[in-house]
Amino acid sequence: MTVLKTPPSSATAAPAPRKPRGAGRRREHQREAYVFLTPWLLGAIGLTVGPMIVSLYLSFTEYDLFTEPRWVGFENFVRMFTEDDRYLQSVKVTLLYVLVAVPMKMIVSLLVAMVLNTRAGSNGFYRSAFYAPSLLGASVAAALVWRAMFTEGGTVNELLDGIGLNTPSWVDDPSYTIWSVILLAVWQFGAPMVIFLAGLKQIPRELYEAAEVDGASPVRKFWHITLPMLSPVIFFNLVLEAIHAFQVFTPAFVIGGGRGGPADSALVYTLYLYQAGFEDFEMGYASAMAWVLLVVIAIVTAVIFRSARLWVFYGDKS
Amino acid sequence: MGAGRLRRGTAIAALAVSLAACGSQPGGAGGGGDVTISFAWWGSDGRATITKQAVELFQQKNPNIKVQTTFSAYAAYWEKVATQTAGGNPPDVMTVDTRYLSEYGERKVLLDLNEGAGKQVSLADVNPELANTGVIGGKRFAVPWAQNASSLVYDPAPYQAAGADPSQPMTWEQFRAAAEKVSAANGFQVRGVTDFGMIDSALEIWLRQRGKGMFTPDGKLGFGAAELKEYWELASRFRTTKAATEAEVTASYNTSPEQAPLGKKLTAAEFAYDSVYPGFQKANGKDLRVAPYPSDDPANTGQYRRPSMFLAVSARGKQQEASAKLVNFLINDPEAGKILGADRGLPPNLKIRAQLAGEAKGTDKVIYDYEAAIEPKLGPAPAVPPKGAGAIQKLLQRTYEEIAFGRLSVDDAVSRFMSEAQKDLQ
Repeated sequence: MTVLKTPPSSATAAPAPRKPRGAGRRREHQREAYVFLTPWLLGAIGLTVGPMIVSLYLSFTEYDLFTEPRWVGFENFVRMFTEDDRYLQSVKVTLLYVLVAVPMKMIVSLLVAMVLNTRAGSNGFYRSAFYAPSLLGASVAAALVWRAMFTEGGTVNELLDGIGLNTPSWVDDPSYTIWSVILLAVWQFGAPMVIFLAGLKQIPRELYEAAEVDGASPVRKFWHITLPMLSPVIFFNLVLEAIHAFQVFTPAFVIGGGRGGPADSALVYTLYLYQAGFEDFEMGYASAMAWVLLVVIAIVTAVIFRSARLWVFYGDKS
Repeated sequence: MGAGRLRRGTAIAALAVSLAACGSQPGGAGGGGDVTISFAWWGSDGRATITKQAVELFQQKNPNIKVQTTFSAYAAYWEKVATQTAGGNPPDVMTVDTRYLSEYGERKVLLDLNEGAGKQVSLADVNPELANTGVIGGKRFAVPWAQNASSLVYDPAPYQAAGADPSQPMTWEQFRAAAEKVSAANGFQVRGVTDFGMIDSALEIWLRQRGKGMFTPDGKLGFGAAELKEYWELASRFRTTKAATEAEVTASYNTSPEQAPLGKKLTAAEFAYDSVYPGFQKANGKDLRVAPYPSDDPANTGQYRRPSMFLAVSARGKQQEASAKLVNFLINDPEAGKILGADRGLPPNLKIRAQLAGEAKGTDKVIYDYEAAIEPKLGPAPAVPPKGAGAIQKLLQRTYEEIAFGRLSVDDAVSRFMSEAQKDLQ
């Protein structure tokens, strides 16, 4: 790349095959680009930016959905952190979910990717089979099946009873509800697994061969070759999964019977937000919660990006 | 064969007419023009089938009105209606629950049926006390579509085996002892009764038996910490003596009969509205019966004429005349009454009710007999619950679960309930 001398401006959109013919021509191109972008722009502004601005306004109001919003300043935000126990409960549940589900999902997906990367496992069938659960994604159907499996008298309970472990109903006992939601998330490891697999295939074979010549054990090869070489991919997956995890809704909604489980044990953040907005008629408060979540996700993402300098290894930098 | 062809012919003709009607629709609100109204209710598939039949009949009688129907389960229904209302597009005609009537009425979503278009809704044949359960501050925001009553739905066989007859008056302690025997008789697999510490309608009846109520007429909580503590201690006594369900089963409680413990055959009795009894019968499969609540005061069973469901018209809809017409039809048309049966409870129109009572069979007959038996003992209906009543129902459930799972003491749960209830009712 460095050998080619390219004019600095052509770094923008479609590079012209010939020499650029002056600014007028370029502007025309830009106009065309915007014309083609219009459908996306309309959607982005109308369906994302617009509602976001409205919800920012609503977060400073008391709004019951039916009558005009009433300006209350920072009252919603103050209430959230000082007098709402259910809010704090939802924060607790969500943090537990994020801190457990994300690492577990990453570990499981990396392990499966490594197995699939061996000669025995490198088979299209296995790859599809392991990827399939995440196609179901955050679907209601998968969560309903989960609920049926983990409920009193469901498959999982019967199996555990069969081997002498007398467990309670996972979805109806408040000490277990959130764990069945976490298990569902971990089971849907397909997306990060595929990305890990692609990353693993990029690692040059020579590195492993050189290590083998030096007599390195598989564990050493994993710690000193696989992990460092894979760190950019781990970083990418971590950012994506963390952002997703903070926004978990459907599995908790369905497994928790639509109300956040018994005694609010699976009341994740977005579920409480939804209840506040659509069941308790407090859309202003719900909007405030949404903005707090947005800021928290932004901070967490920024922290992960910052920390990347310490542990992410890009091959081209020494 | 000939009839079949004829029917197909009429169907095609009807289709052609309705297609033509669609074509002529834009053009506006001119006299005699066709109008389309939307109608939404909550309930099961079975309810949907008969409701659609009644709507079909209405369309036949009013060919210029088209009704678009939608239905969902109770909880989903309220989320949907709230969203639609926020978008400025509530259903023209909708069913409303007494727990949400203030929420929608006081926020000017519902039309005052004492005025304008609403005047054509006749309440002449409705019990005046029942009719007035839809009135807030003189404004008739809704009219009752059916009447039901609280009851104990139970399986008579195991109770008889335990030497008890719930259809006869009994105290709470006598009932608990009987329920415990029922549980013990089958090794505590099927419990005597579903726990009721989280059921707001059971709490209401229990409070009324003590001369209190769920809410005061001015919208405050109608009971104090002491009453709630006593109630939860009563429920806990049922739970700890295994007369009632264990916590996990209690946590799966859901107002739809197929998912409730009695419907899942995990208990032999459950406190529920008598209008839900056919659903239990179907889900449970046994020959169930309904009885009044136990009461420590035989003269006061706490029951009243309860509006099981209201019909209301959107104040924001454009077709208020047609909407009010549909409401009047659903309440007062004898044929519609016959189609709808006792699915939501007894018909509000007393003439229709008397006629149907004579013809009732099976589960319907059980309900008619039960309501006739308790009629002399019914007390006055409480005022319309305040805004936030729906939230109180959920609050009661999740705080009681804290007790049932042993995560909070009764005292701590009571104080949490009281402080959160204050906020919900603001």
